[in-house]
Amino acid sequence: MTSKKWLIMFASTVVLFAVMLAGFNILTDPFGVFGDPIFDWTSYNATNNPRTAKISYLDKNHEKYDSYIIGCSSTSSFPVDAFNEIFDAKFYNLIMYGADMLDCEDMAKYVIENYEVKNIVLNVYLDNGIFFGDEPNEYTHSMLPRVDGSGFFDTVSFYTRFAFANPSYGIAKIKAKSSDTYLAQSFDVFDEKTGAYDKKKRDAEPIRNLADYYSAYPVFLYYPEHSGYSLPKTKECMDSVERIVRLCEESGVELTVVTAPVYADYIEYFDINDVINFYSSLAEVTDFWDFSYSSVSFEPRYFYDSTHFRNAVGYMAAARMGENSAYSDSFAEIIFEENGLEASTTAYIPDDFGYYVTAENANEYFASYANASAASYIDISKKVPVLMYHHISETQEGAGIITPEVFEDHIKALADNGYTAISFSDLYAYVNCSGSLPAKPIVITFDDGYTSNYEYAYPILEKYGMCSTIFVIGSAFGCDTYKDTGVEMLPHFGPNETIEMVKSGLIDIQSHTFDMHQSVSLEKTQAREHMAQLDGESEDDYISAIRSDINQSIVQLEDITDETVYVLAYPQGYYNDLVQTVLSEAGIKITLSTDWGVSTLIRGLPQSLFAMKRLSAGNGTDGEALITMIEGFTLN
Amino acid sequence: MYFISGTFILFLAVSVFLYYIVPARLKWVVLLAAGAVFYLSGGLASGLYLLFTAAATFISAIILDKLNEIKAEIPKSDKELQEKNKRQKKTVVTVCLILNFGMLFMLKYLGFSLDAIGNLLGKELSAPNLVMPLGVSFFIFQSIGYVIDVYRAKYRADRNFFKYLLFVSFFPLMIQGPISRHDKLASQLTAPHIFDADNLKNGIQRMLWGYFKKMVIADRAAVVVTTFFADHDSYGGAVAAFAVIMYCINLYCDFSGGIDITIGAARLFGITLEENFRRPIFSTSLAEYWRRWHITLGGWMRDYVFYPLSLSKGFGKIGKWARGKFGGKVGKILPTAMATFIVYFIIGIWHGASFRFIAYGFMNGAIITSSLLLAGTYSKLREKLRIDQSSIGWQIFSMIRTCLIVFIGRYITRSPNLTVGFELIGRTLNPFTFNFGEILSGTLLSLGLTSGDFAIIAVSCAAMLAVEYYCEYHGQLNDVLSKKNAFVQWLPLAAIMLAILLFGIMRGSYISSEFIYKQY
Repeated sequence: MTSKKWLIMFASTVVLFAVMLAGFNILTDPFGVFGDPIFDWTSYNATNNPRTAKISYLDKNHEKYDSYIIGCSSTSSFPVDAFNEIFDAKFYNLIMYGADMLDCEDMAKYVIENYEVKNIVLNVYLDNGIFFGDEPNEYTHSMLPRVDGSGFFDTVSFYTRFAFANPSYGIAKIKAKSSDTYLAQSFDVFDEKTGAYDKKKRDAEPIRNLADYYSAYPVFLYYPEHSGYSLPKTKECMDSVERIVRLCEESGVELTVVTAPVYADYIEYFDINDVINFYSSLAEVTDFWDFSYSSVSFEPRYFYDSTHFRNAVGYMAAARMGENSAYSDSFAEIIFEENGLEASTTAYIPDDFGYYVTAENANEYFASYANASAASYIDISKKVPVLMYHHISETQEGAGIITPEVFEDHIKALADNGYTAISFSDLYAYVNCSGSLPAKPIVITFDDGYTSNYEYAYPILEKYGMCSTIFVIGSAFGCDTYKDTGVEMLPHFGPNETIEMVKSGLIDIQSHTFDMHQSVSLEKTQAREHMAQLDGESEDDYISAIRSDINQSIVQLEDITDETVYVLAYPQGYYNDLVQTVLSEAGIKITLSTDWGVSTLIRGLPQSLFAMKRLSAGNGTDGEALITMIEGFTLN
Repeated sequence: MYFISGTFILFLAVSVFLYYIVPARLKWVVLLAAGAVFYLSGGLASGLYLLFTAAATFISAIILDKLNEIKAEIPKSDKELQEKNKRQKKTVVTVCLILNFGMLFMLKYLGFSLDAIGNLLGKELSAPNLVMPLGVSFFIFQSIGYVIDVYRAKYRADRNFFKYLLFVSFFPLMIQGPISRHDKLASQLTAPHIFDADNLKNGIQRMLWGYFKKMVIADRAAVVVTTFFADHDSYGGAVAAFAVIMYCINLYCDFSGGIDITIGAARLFGITLEENFRRPIFSTSLAEYWRRWHITLGGWMRDYVFYPLSLSKGFGKIGKWARGKFGGKVGKILPTAMATFIVYFIIGIWHGASFRFIAYGFMNGAIITSSLLLAGTYSKLREKLRIDQSSIGWQIFSMIRTCLIVFIGRYITRSPNLTVGFELIGRTLNPFTFNFGEILSGTLLSLGLTSGDFAIIAVSCAAMLAVEYYCEYHGQLNDVLSKKNAFVQWLPLAAIMLAILLFGIMRGSYISSEFIYKQY
């Protein structure tokens, strides 16, 4: 072969590989640049590059939305559903990680020019004063040429870059597809429909005391040490905001500017005067809702990580913004009425959280800006002991069985020591709304729904005026034999007893699942002792089983009690993030585990009502010992 | 601009295209302009150092050339004028050496020296923070070689500064040599090469081979090395030995791969550079190893340090003294042995400003010097043991012995400091700390690579060794291949291109989505 022919062969091989590479990248489209013809997986693409993938998605789906939330990653937790209600709109969250204000301006301009837009909510974060006009990574941070107005050569360069990108991105996408799960993984962190980060998993985790949180997220205890940060791009940022303001005015788009909560340790990286100057400069350009620095900034449990505040905090911000539109918690309205609770149904908002800054009040507001400080422990949290009982019997002995005498001794001791029995609606009101709790609250619960609860516990509770919640297994409700077997078991109370107890106003009936607390020895196939995934069960089947079971339980109990089922005690105390997520989606607001101890409720964090810890005491613990045990947890 | 980048490939392609389309008289200008773009992409400051060296050596060479002309006209009988001329030449060359090596010292060794002096005095002395220009040692050595050659009247000085500048700044040479000689390179650079498919083919083949070695093997092995040395206290001697073997592979494939790319890139313009490696793994002695490894540095040291030293008056006196004291044989060898020792000592320092490189040079110098001094004893021993030096068994033994010596030396050069280097050698040699179980227990997979990566390294190294073996004993493989049919020629081409694409490029520019997200 002559050298000329060899060169032709070489060139042909280069072209062949180039075509194969480009074809592969276009078909797998891991950045959502070429329309993602095979996977149509916006969440994955947006994780790689939210700027390209979200616009590709919106170009096809913008009719579903009429309003946009725009900003960097701290924008994610401004809640689309709450904004929909407040603004009477259909929001999409156009958060872009690492976005500077130029990115936001380009996005605002693009959506206004290309879609029907009613509202834009623009988040101005402190980092927008650090960076402006940077593109730290040409794959993960680049804009579609049609968004940033690239010329012909830049456009060609853009598509060439993505066509000849490292095929590992496409291969990773193929691999990810086969390991995709219901809960977000690191490769698909966005919720396609809302555009926000999919925080189902993090929002399912129980949040307890600060020590537990530090242990799970040590970044808050050992916050990275930096100092001397400055905000050199403040002017460029504010000029950009001003252009957005003008654009919205000219286009008839309602613009609301917000500033996301910043974690206090992060603010300390800066000179506080620079921070004040940054936000004051914003006030010179536009009015805005300031959430940047308040008691919220000092509470780690209000943050997912060192930078991003929780969705729950986003709801508090939305509630503050919606105060004038009588925004309230519709679920709270229902259960408070059912439980005769006179708490306000307005969502909980820390007093110092959220202020509408205008050119007129800015000077006065920023004069005391630096005084923000942590809320005191008692203002935002409360340890609430939850007692767990099962069967009551005069003759039987065993784990979880207690005699009526000892039970009464417990209840009497509680009453004598000033404890006030409260219901789960009280807990809900305290955490999510403006409810308050007594000085010494106690929650009394029974698992399984034994007839003995009706026969022995109910009269004693009535005698002492203590309320309680019984968690009923749907398939055992009113039965004294195990389903479909005729095998005898402890009798469980039925509809008549239920109605009588509920009507007393003292007893609340809630779910212990319909049939996810099975007996291993009596089931013919693999028993579901608790809510764990069965061996060999697919994730889809597992989720369907949970959904079907909880819906059956809710329908069964609500039919009889005519009251909302929103609390569930996990059979055998087993829980995981997926179960918690599916239960939350089904309307379960509070869950209880058998984890030993006393949970700490945190105002504004619904997750502090997840997998709550409980205490149990048997015949060996008299009333006095019970009080000692409870105080061992609550007084420390 | 780095060789391992799409930008460089594009830059090279454009340069080659321009080179062949411009008129013959402008071809060298294209190379000069390309060098300027290449060099200045690293910053203006580093370009100034290069310009300084080029100007200093260019002017020195012209003065020396003039003095050579004058010398030719001085009658041999006029000893005084001859001496004066000699002194003038020495002054010029000394000033030029001081200027250039002074700059090199400032850039490379000042910090180290001040640290060492500071430690001795118990004071903290700090050097100014200077920009380290790309390939500074290479272009200084190359230019100094030129000046010394002119000093020796080996050839005339270049009269065109820009053509000379091209010799100093020919861009493929900029990163790691080879250190080229003016008489072999300069005329090639300015000659108007016409398009030749053979050159293009050979250049591309050579570059592909270099990219394969660098991207598929070296960059992978580097991960193990970096991971190990970042936490070297956590491993036993066996893992240390494994990491140092990986370092040997990394170093060879990185350096020789880079040189392959350099030589291939130059070949695209029709320019043939000197070889810098000749399969050092087949060396049967440490001295031979150094004749096969970084050949041009060794050659430079031989011509500009070894010979001037060993033939100098001072060394001659030492030889004379030794002959009187120890007899003829030792007296004859001693000046050579001393010059050898000094050369390796300088080579050690050349590698970096650190005691570990000084120790490395010392080690090499000591071994080679002692083998020179003990050559007779060894020869007698071999005779007594009836060892046939030409037998395959002895050859293989000698190669393994050489590799082991080099391997031990690499402990010292790669360790963060001399103490750690010796400590790691001790850990490997001590049976109680060797801990072979670590190799079997999966510790290797905690060094940053997967088993797939190790398999890629193993298969690629085997392929590389097979090619090197063939070239060592049978001649150039691509000559044989070019006589085969198209498919047989296409297969290795496609395989190597695919290997570079899949195991080199893919690995280099990929950021996992997890990583991307974790930043925020």
